[in-house]
Amino acid sequence: MVTMTASTRPTPRESSNFDEVSMHQSLLFSDSLQDLKNLRTQLYSAAEYFELSYTNDDQKQIVVETLKDYAIKALVNTVDHLGSVSYKVNDILDEKVDEVSGTELRVSCIEQRLRTCQEYIDHEGLTQQSSVISTPKYHKRLDDEDDWHQFRNAVRATIRETPPTTVSKGRSPSPSPHASQKPGVFSFTSTMPKKELDKRSVSPHRFPLLRSGSLVSRPMTPNSRSTTPNSSRPTTPNPSNARRRYPSEPRKSASMRLPADRENGREVEHYPSKSKRLLKALLSRRKSKKDDMLYTYLDEY
Amino acid sequence: MARAGGITNAVNVGIAVQADWENREFISHISLNVRRLFDFLVQFEATTKSKLASLNEKLDTLERRLELLEVQVGTATANPSLFNS
Repeated sequence: MVTMTASTRPTPRESSNFDEVSMHQSLLFSDSLQDLKNLRTQLYSAAEYFELSYTNDDQKQIVVETLKDYAIKALVNTVDHLGSVSYKVNDILDEKVDEVSGTELRVSCIEQRLRTCQEYIDHEGLTQQSSVISTPKYHKRLDDEDDWHQFRNAVRATIRETPPTTVSKGRSPSPSPHASQKPGVFSFTSTMPKKELDKRSVSPHRFPLLRSGSLVSRPMTPNSRSTTPNSSRPTTPNPSNARRRYPSEPRKSASMRLPADRENGREVEHYPSKSKRLLKALLSRRKSKKDDMLYTYLDEY
Repeated sequence: MARAGGITNAVNVGIAVQADWENREFISHISLNVRRLFDFLVQFEATTKSKLASLNEKLDTLERRLELLEVQVGTATANPSLFNS
């Protein structure tokens, strides 16, 4: 009589690392599959044996009872083996699906990083190309009509030595300093209405060139062109056109003179004679020891 | 005597019929369980085939994405000026 041989399972060992555990599980799985294969041959052998016994043996009832017991045990053992094998197959499949999902996540991460790199490269390329092609930039304030008037008034107020005819009514913000200008003749914005004067004195922040008081804070750049109200480019008049300021001339007198200039335009007419007197005084400064008199004269001037 | 022999035969026939029904019942139980085992195997086969097909599809998609990534990385490696600029 063929009896069901129990599957020989290896003794459970304490596996330290994952490789040993997985190897142990794979060995168990292969043993279970081998038992299932052997179970088929054992069932065929048992069927032949019971057939011969039933035909040859006289005690047929005992053979039938034995056959029943064997069939029950064989069925239970088969179900046990199939359950074990199917569980292991499901476990292995789920493990592989999890591994594939993890690999998909990693590939998605790599794709996202690659896409980010591609976007960065595109952005850098666009930045480089845009920096190569330098588009002309126009001042925003010149777009509006009011701003343009303010700018023109500011230029007029700043370059008070230039004639008002140089600033055209059009949109040419550069009053040409080489225009016909007579030395010693100054333009005190006589054409500018008083309303505009008040207007430009209201907004000193937008046009920092607007002068409200002294000339001391204004930098002296002889050859600079006063075209834009940029603070980095001080708009100073051309020295050929401007009133001559001598090095020894104290600036306090100029700052004190400015309000008077605004109030009284007649001083423009007296300026050449005063400058002559000042020149004479300066020329005679080295010769004589009358510096004190000169300073007093300048203070009075 | 004949009546007793007839009764004995009837009893034996009855016992034999009962034993036969018991055997039939046993065989039906065995066949039912074998059928359940067969159904389980068929269901297990279908489930396993479905899982394997899904896994195969995922692996195919993953293989294509990896090939695309390999080509992109190879292109980027072949043109190092992209990274130097």
